[in-house]
Amino acid sequence: MTPMEDKDLQISEKDIVILVPSIVVAVGILSLPAKLAGVTISSDGWIPLLVGGIIMIFVTWLVVKLATSFPNQTFLTYASKLVTKPIAIVFTLLFVIQGIIIAAIEVREIADISKVYLLNNTPAEVLSLSFLLVVIYAVSGSRAGIFRLNMLFFPFIIFISLLIIILSIGWISLENLLPVFQTSIGGYAEGMKTGIIYYGNIGFLLFYMAFAKQPKKAPKMAARGMSIVVVLYILLFFVCIGVMGNGATTNLIYPTIDLAKELEIPGGFFERFESVFFTIWVMAIFTTALIALDGAVLALQSVMKKIPKLTIIFCLAPLVYFIGLLPKDYVELSTFGTYMAYFSLILLFCVVILLMIFSKIKGVK
Amino acid sequence: MARTSFFNRRKMKTSKSKQENQIKTTIELGTNLADNLKNIRTLLGEPGDLIIRETTLGETDTKCAIVYLSGLVDQDLVNNNILKVIQSNINEIDTNRINEVFQQIIAITDIKKGTKFDDVINSLLSGSTLFYLDDMDTVLILGTTGGERRSIEEPQSEALIRGPREGFVESVHTNIALLRRDIKNPNLRFKSYEVGKKSKRTIVVSYLEGIINPTLLKEVNRRLKSINLDIVSESGFLEQWIEDSFLSPFPQMINTERPDRVSSSLLQGKVAILVDGTPFALIAPITYSETLKSLEDYYERWLVGTLIRILRYLGTFIALFLPAIYIALVSYHQGMIPTELAFSIALTREGVPFPSFVEALLMIITMEILQEAGARLPKNLGQTIGIVGGLVIGEAAVSASIVSPVMVIVVGLTAISSFTNPSYSAGIGFRMLRLTFMIAAAILGLYGIILAYIMLNIHIANLKSFGVPYSAPFAPTYFSDWKDTIIRVPITMLEKQPKYMKIEDSKAKSNEEEQK
Repeated sequence: MTPMEDKDLQISEKDIVILVPSIVVAVGILSLPAKLAGVTISSDGWIPLLVGGIIMIFVTWLVVKLATSFPNQTFLTYASKLVTKPIAIVFTLLFVIQGIIIAAIEVREIADISKVYLLNNTPAEVLSLSFLLVVIYAVSGSRAGIFRLNMLFFPFIIFISLLIIILSIGWISLENLLPVFQTSIGGYAEGMKTGIIYYGNIGFLLFYMAFAKQPKKAPKMAARGMSIVVVLYILLFFVCIGVMGNGATTNLIYPTIDLAKELEIPGGFFERFESVFFTIWVMAIFTTALIALDGAVLALQSVMKKIPKLTIIFCLAPLVYFIGLLPKDYVELSTFGTYMAYFSLILLFCVVILLMIFSKIKGVK
Repeated sequence: MARTSFFNRRKMKTSKSKQENQIKTTIELGTNLADNLKNIRTLLGEPGDLIIRETTLGETDTKCAIVYLSGLVDQDLVNNNILKVIQSNINEIDTNRINEVFQQIIAITDIKKGTKFDDVINSLLSGSTLFYLDDMDTVLILGTTGGERRSIEEPQSEALIRGPREGFVESVHTNIALLRRDIKNPNLRFKSYEVGKKSKRTIVVSYLEGIINPTLLKEVNRRLKSINLDIVSESGFLEQWIEDSFLSPFPQMINTERPDRVSSSLLQGKVAILVDGTPFALIAPITYSETLKSLEDYYERWLVGTLIRILRYLGTFIALFLPAIYIALVSYHQGMIPTELAFSIALTREGVPFPSFVEALLMIITMEILQEAGARLPKNLGQTIGIVGGLVIGEAAVSASIVSPVMVIVVGLTAISSFTNPSYSAGIGFRMLRLTFMIAAAILGLYGIILAYIMLNIHIANLKSFGVPYSAPFAPTYFSDWKDTIIRVPITMLEKQPKYMKIEDSKAKSNEEEQK
């Protein structure tokens, strides 16, 4: 039976609230406490995390405000109006590149982490390929289905995060958290630089906001979604430092997962809680990779309207896979990831500031 | 590209078959009584159950005939209300106004005039009695449908401890009556269709006007009109023809034998489809959480209902994941099992020659065979299968070291849990999915399970049942509908119509249109 015709995709306010954490929360938080603890003293890392978070909440609000001031128009349409079509196309293609590379990094990271915590003997290529295939399956479905998926997975992600935070409360020792405010100004600046990139990659909101059902409420909702991320990051950073101390956290690669290792589930059903935690966390990584790839597809679709969606997906997928294989080891992957995060942040700032200025000049309200 | 060609092929096939099979006769109704009767005899091949009673109208000389198929009609009705009155009452007749006269003479309320031979034959085959009169090319079709039918019994497939004991029967008219008794509301609608190329079946779409979303009704009608089947002998045919996705392991309509289930769904703004000849009615649209609901959740007090429903979700989780998780833990993540348990599992697995996946597969397949055999056997033999299959084979398999005792526990728990699903059709889907999860676990351990779970979610997120997302009310989120999903809040707080049916929206829209 041919299905009922799908109406135009519309995303509700709840979808927007959940979209932001789905985009942002992924592998980043697993290594964030280590990077941040390295440049700050004891538990001071939360200050740059909070300040960076507040800045990014504002940026998110600004991005969505910009996108929804042209209700139901695609990024390409309103960007062409403001800064001529060629430049708009260049911007769109830059976002496509961002999407492909972020998806590639997620696909690679998930294979590396699974190798450490779940399957030691399975080749990383198999792990990343199987993950990528699942992502492709999701992208080739309907776009409304993607938002429903975010909605289905979000409770799991929040649940497992809260569980890990609540279980670790008993293990936190105050000595690890004290003394406070010992970091120099330079250290805070360094921390800001390290911390803020973990909030990046929200550029795709520019594309998805064309589907917003109530454009007026969207900026507030997106900011609310970003606040969830900030709170989650700060809490997880706190428990990491509180349980393991600054020194130990710095030396770990994925301190958040190792934090789970320290914990015990009451009742003793499972040992090695970190495996359970990471298994659930695959969902968080999945939603990020999904939005990255789908964002790239959406952006490309707006430029090349005649090419069917499936063709675009099948052209991008091998690219994602091979870019994911490029970095040789963890160090290269990490550097690659950091550069990529800077790239997406700078791209976002450039595009938003440029479009803001031009919309002021051309007098769009 | 592939998709379009597939549909083209399908279209070509249907148009071809349309030309082949149609019950079309070239015979016309004549005015000569003998010819007309001969036509009927030759068309049906002079069967033994065709009764033709030729007589004269009362004491006049006008010849007439009663034609029916014995077994399909109510014999008393034919004898007392038709034959008797025809033979006795009439002394004189005004042949010009014959029809009016007859409507006064024959003591049956359901009378139609038939002028087309096709209509006449179809109503004869569905149990009507035909009345032929000489010199007339019009036939009276008398509704005398009757004969032996199963009486109303307790539904076999959906037994409840508490609740009405009535179940649907094979006659659609009885079923309609059962629904009418449940919902005494003038807005209750029954819309009939005749479906089938080789044999006509009555299909009745039932809904409550004013509650139902008109878009949904239009969609149901559109799908029913597209049916191009030879015969619809069970509602399953219909379900497979009009469902959204034939690749999905999940049913997109619920089938039920219970009138109370249908009527409660109708009150929620859903559509029920009744098919003549089967006690199973279809309810659409449904969502995933609907397949885990039983009416008893509402009949018991809310705490009990909620607990039982949580138990059912737990049962579904176990039925889906337990063998897969066991395989993953034993073959890949031994470290995750608590140490003492790991030792005892290793101890019991000693001497078992197979890897845990093969072991699980053996047991699961045995269990599926037992289940199938138990369903096919006569009731009193079914117990034997349970004892011989479950106990004897299980015990012997363990002592012969083919499977480990822990595996027997795992498979046994899985089997019992899968029976907590109140909908048999949904349960079958889970049996397939369980195997998929086991294969995923055998290849990639826990990572495989979570990937398979994500894929399952992708499928559910993309699945729709008559335009309603299958994952509603979780995604898209309708918080007010959560009161009746995993938990079941007290009946006083329960809203009648779920939000995901978008009844309010449709009402607002129609109001707007009216104002325009």
